[in-house]
Amino acid sequence: MLQVRKVVKSFGGLVALNSLDLDIEDSEILGVIGPNGAGKTTLFNVVSGYFPPTEGEVRFDGEDITGLRADEIAALGISRTFQAATLFTALSVLENVFVGCHMQYKTHIWKRLLRTPAALREEGRLKARAMEILEFMGLSSLKDELAGNLPHGHQKILSASMAIATGPKLLLLDEPVTGMNETEIAAMVDLVRRIRDSGITIAVVEHNMKTVVNLCDRLVVLNYGQKIAEGPPREILEKEEVIEAYLGEKEADDVA
Amino acid sequence: MEVAYSSKGGPRSRVKGKTIASALAVIALVLLPLVVKSPYYMHILIMSGLNAILAMTFITMLRTGLISLSIAAFWGIGAYASMLFVMRLKASFWLALPASIVVAGLIGLCIGYLFVRSAGFGFVMLSAVLGMLIIVVFGNLKFLGGYEGIESIPPPDQITIPLVARVEFASKAPYYYLMLVLLFVTIVILRAIYAAWTGRAWMAIGLNSRLAESLGVNVFRYRLWAFVISSAIAGMAGSFYAHYIGAVIPGSFDVFKTIYVHIFAILGGVDFAILGPIVGSVVMTFVPELLRITKVIEPIVTGVLVILIILFLPRGLLSLFGIQAMSTHVGRRIEKLGSFIKASLGFRAR
Amino acid sequence: MSVPVAQLIVDGMGMGLIYVILAAGLVLMMNVSGILLIAYGEFYAIGAITVWTCVEYLRLPFGAALIVAVVITTLVGLASYRFIFQRIQHRPNNFLSQVVAAVGLMLILGQAILLIFGTVPQKVPSVFTGMVRKFGITISVEKLFVMALALVVTVALFLMYEKTRLGRAMRAVAFNADVAALQGVNTNAIYMATMGISGVLAGFAGGIMSGVYEIYPEMGHNIFFSILLVVMLGGMGSIAGAVVGGLILGITLSFGLYFTGGMAQIILFLIIGVILFFRPGGLLGSRIQL
Repeated sequence: MLQVRKVVKSFGGLVALNSLDLDIEDSEILGVIGPNGAGKTTLFNVVSGYFPPTEGEVRFDGEDITGLRADEIAALGISRTFQAATLFTALSVLENVFVGCHMQYKTHIWKRLLRTPAALREEGRLKARAMEILEFMGLSSLKDELAGNLPHGHQKILSASMAIATGPKLLLLDEPVTGMNETEIAAMVDLVRRIRDSGITIAVVEHNMKTVVNLCDRLVVLNYGQKIAEGPPREILEKEEVIEAYLGEKEADDVA
Repeated sequence: MEVAYSSKGGPRSRVKGKTIASALAVIALVLLPLVVKSPYYMHILIMSGLNAILAMTFITMLRTGLISLSIAAFWGIGAYASMLFVMRLKASFWLALPASIVVAGLIGLCIGYLFVRSAGFGFVMLSAVLGMLIIVVFGNLKFLGGYEGIESIPPPDQITIPLVARVEFASKAPYYYLMLVLLFVTIVILRAIYAAWTGRAWMAIGLNSRLAESLGVNVFRYRLWAFVISSAIAGMAGSFYAHYIGAVIPGSFDVFKTIYVHIFAILGGVDFAILGPIVGSVVMTFVPELLRITKVIEPIVTGVLVILIILFLPRGLLSLFGIQAMSTHVGRRIEKLGSFIKASLGFRAR
Repeated sequence: MSVPVAQLIVDGMGMGLIYVILAAGLVLMMNVSGILLIAYGEFYAIGAITVWTCVEYLRLPFGAALIVAVVITTLVGLASYRFIFQRIQHRPNNFLSQVVAAVGLMLILGQAILLIFGTVPQKVPSVFTGMVRKFGITISVEKLFVMALALVVTVALFLMYEKTRLGRAMRAVAFNADVAALQGVNTNAIYMATMGISGVLAGFAGGIMSGVYEIYPEMGHNIFFSILLVVMLGGMGSIAGAVVGGLILGITLSFGLYFTGGMAQIILFLIIGVILFFRPGGLLGSRIQL
């Protein structure tokens, strides 16, 4: 589904991604792991269009999407969450998701402005869709709460809900369980599985090794902006290069 | 979409209360010229209406996260364009008005295309440069009358409103009603846009443009749209202004005018996209008038008033009524804009 | 026709140095206190008018008048800060509010100036008479005197900001007021001091210019635009930027006036626009990273 080829991303003197090659297959849950600074979030940023790569190519469903803007890439079917739960804190939960639904609008802008019956019907339909997503994600009871007032775990779930609302084929989750307790993590893992089952391919950046092992079909390990290993979770975590990369990282203790 | 509601009463009574209040307000406004006879006070009313229109365009841009310092510039463009249409092309005012709107909008499109590209702060800088540049342009072009401007701009031609009367623009009252119409049109258009998806997109962009973009919102296009609409509306006000005052002078359209417009909106309350500008403009135009002892003290009174309001009513005049705008948090987020603008520049953090 | 380049440059530097001083004052306020002091032009005018009043009515010598002007301007500044800006300063996200307050102050001061001074433009008699001719450049002794003083003040400002304890405290507050407070800096005192220094600069600039150019009530408004341009051009974050911007503007205007007058201004604005388009942070400002 997604091919990253020889992607380089440098910021002035700092090289965050160093000729990276990576594939994401249809319908899988891919885990992207690696020590801090390995380039995981940078990878997501490049793929989702937050900034373009310095060199290299990204192909999605056969199309070259290198250098496209974030909204263009979202329209093509890639959606993401941010490390810090980035929300419209001044809007309600429902309104947050509703913003995400906007791409589904079919009626022409003029009809929408004039509030024709067709436009109003569609707005109703999209609101209903937003509610559906909230129910799917378990947030429907909070629909009128201000997003900024939600506890951390719920904010993360809300971020994911908004990302799903755009109707993506590929969802990039950046540290979805960071800062959550055990119960919340279990709920999130379950949610992610159900999202995949509904037909969305998922890539996850995560530091929590237990979750990663639990959730992901396949792992890719990054270090210094390059892929140093890939394969099934159990196998990967026992590989020497991987353990070495993590030396100096407390996560080495979490390795199963 | 912004809704102001009082804390008592449920949704249905809220809407009913608003509708009744609005209806009463409209009736009062329409009947006003029967009560107010003094041309001087009529003039003040008309000017506050114009200022309210301009202040609303400030809020439109502010919603999308941009502070525009070119409001007076487009006001001037509309005024000069209308003057040219009527005096050089011998068109009727009623043709010149829509034409000026189109001209202002088109220029807004071209300029906005360049300006909106820049980061939020770049936009402010560039709009400031335009604001300063436009006066020099107006002043140096001979066919625009140079720095002395053009006088003797004719009033709008008389029109016949079916079933009502033949309206001649010989006194203040017809201008007042025309201003009301323009104000009404502006309010209707802006409300419709704010309530529609575009308004939501603007609010999303203003709250977190990166997030909005990642959700598929074309930030540039929506901001450009806002800029074009703001420019067109300012141009409309300019066209009216030229034919009401009867003269255009470059000095009237300087950056300070834009800053005053900003102040009207801010003092009214940035949380309120329609009421705030109206309240701010009316209060800031009238109170110094009512309090003046002699004409020379007036700017001092205005200045003191500005300072008092900003000291004691930081969220604007409308906060006095305990009205909670749903978008109060939006207002705060917008205030953060100013800090963001400073911070993103190497003001070394604040 | 040969362009008297050197002459134009020297002429430009004269006005340019005044821009530098004023721009530096404005940038100082912005950096340290985060206040965009729109009323700053009026302070400049107050300086000029005070000198004129002292010389004309009190028959004071120019030097004494200058000192009085600086004192008065500074007092006005300190009072403004104490009674207006200080109350807003503690609010989070106070930028827009401070701007509004500054506009209110500008209205008050501007009108007060008009009332006290009247509408007739005046000029203070020059301290020095005569011209100096050297290296093909002609310049009035008065202007030379003004430039020399301005240079001294600019250097003094730099030294103060970079080398003294006060300067270090100011830079600390500019960088992060909360952290500076934790380190024991009395932030309010620093804000007052900054306002005071900016007042000194404006009063000084207005005072010495009164002997060179005409004094008229709108001078505050007019010069504020120019200073704003200088600050935008040179970069908002840096005083060095103010220096560069001020000199550039002064020299460019000098050349421009020589060539085409009005068109020069338009071209100047366009050039500034282009520069800001590519570098919104100004020539010396930090690169905006989004």
